Amino acid sequence: MKLSRIITTLLSGLPVTLTLLVFSFVFASAIGLGVAWLALRKNNFWSGAARLYLGLIRGTPPLLMLLLTYYGLPKLFMLIGVDINDWAKMIFGITGLSVGWSAYLSEAFRSAYLSVDKGQYEAALVVGMDSKDAFWQIIMPQTALIALPNIENLVIGLVKATSLVYVIGLIDMYNAATDLSNQNQGVYKLGIFVVLALVYWLIVLTIEWIFRSIRNDYEYVTV
Amino acid sequence: MLLELRDIEKTFKDNQVLKGIDLTVEQGEVVAIIGPSGSGKTTLLRNINFLETANSGSMTFRDQNIDMARPSKEQILWTRRHMAMVFQNYNLFKNKTALENISEGLVFGQNMAKKEADSLAEIALDQVGLLDKKDFYPSQLSGGQQQRIGIARATVLNPDIILFDEPTSALDPELVGTVLRDMKQLAEQGQTMIVVTHQMSFARDVADRVMFFADGEILEQGDADEIFDHPKNDRTKQFLSAIAEDY
Ligand SMILES: Nc1ncnc2c1ncn2[C@@H]1O[C@H](COP(=O)(O)OP(=O)(O)O)[C@@H](O)[C@H]1O
Ligand SMILES: [Mg+2]
Repeated sequence: MKLSRIITTLLSGLPVTLTLLVFSFVFASAIGLGVAWLALRKNNFWSGAARLYLGLIRGTPPLLMLLLTYYGLPKLFMLIGVDINDWAKMIFGITGLSVGWSAYLSEAFRSAYLSVDKGQYEAALVVGMDSKDAFWQIIMPQTALIALPNIENLVIGLVKATSLVYVIGLIDMYNAATDLSNQNQGVYKLGIFVVLALVYWLIVLTIEWIFRSIRNDYEYVTV
Repeated sequence: MLLELRDIEKTFKDNQVLKGIDLTVEQGEVVAIIGPSGSGKTTLLRNINFLETANSGSMTFRDQNIDMARPSKEQILWTRRHMAMVFQNYNLFKNKTALENISEGLVFGQNMAKKEADSLAEIALDQVGLLDKKDFYPSQLSGGQQQRIGIARATVLNPDIILFDEPTSALDPELVGTVLRDMKQLAEQGQTMIVVTHQMSFARDVADRVMFFADGEILEQGDADEIFDHPKNDRTKQFLSAIAEDY
């Protein structure tokens, strides 16, 4: 088999992989921020609810999360009379990964927030900022910088997790590779998987480069 | 009279740290507070600007009467916007440059336009001799430089009163002088301030009034000569002679 055939087949699955990655990360971050915010509330009800969510989601294997989303979500929506069985598999894939990763990201945000030096907030208050400005100007940027290495690891983990969408029948890069290797009685298996590994590696390198550039922009900010 | 505290009490769990503090500060006065560590000096300053909330007591600041145990949100914000504080460990904003550290309070506390705030911040930075460091982050500055920026961050707000909490205690000995010089200059310009300090020479030279603080109480107060040369209270005498051995 020609190398070019392997590469074009794998690349045909790349958009699915990248779409899953980008959208899942964005939604997981949004949910994660919200849950972290709730978990940090003084209100016992909301922080308790957030903790329950975190416990449940973190305890669920990503593969199972995808299956639960794919088979469970339509049933859930049926209860309120909405038929979502025809939704694209991509939506279920993104939903499953977003929910799964939201818990990890939430913990990254929450622990980073808690490790911001308390004196920073007090200094903001005594120069006359209200708590909202103190949060957005001082606390949030420092939280983000502290959380950055954890977030990077989580994104890299998410890259690998996108390959799990085969369980709901989505053809991502990984799935395209396995299909191809099966077509040829497994003769070219090793070659195909080496190329596949290289493409994942390139994606991870790009992610590392992005995070390194963000960090370099704040070279002198030690938090 | 600019500031009057009446019978301030503060308890952490079952540890009573302030046992009924009465204190008045006149416009333009420099009050030094000395005393052993753990006696509640920091806690007193933190109650004045509501970083802690007292269990009981009241405060008159300018024309406002405030119940220290039940201040309203507006009273807290108003008080903070007319006071400033310099911390022992500087607490400069780590994600802001020297200039931004100083302009931040003007922009967000006083709703000043960014441009105007920046030019006032440059003047304040120049006064502490650090204009060339305006784009540096705290991590790139020495402790002494950070603390002088901390002072500029306070003065730029044009506050009625500045609270200093042992501003030189975290500094290497050779850097203490520059910070004290800035503070002395402020005092000469008529800035009202309360200074918690272990620098007896500063208290002696600059303060209009010295208070000896121990176990959550003001045990003795007077002008520098009275406290340093003719202390009446035994605890004051003990403290001063213990300090004298250190220096
Ligand atoms: N947030 C707090 N929670 C509990 N105890 C505190 C707190 N802040 C200060 N204290 C206690 O109050 C006492 C006085 O502390 P502090 O005001 O820092 O003294 P000083 O500044 O004179 O050294 C100490 O016993 C200290 O442990
Ligand atoms: Mg102290």
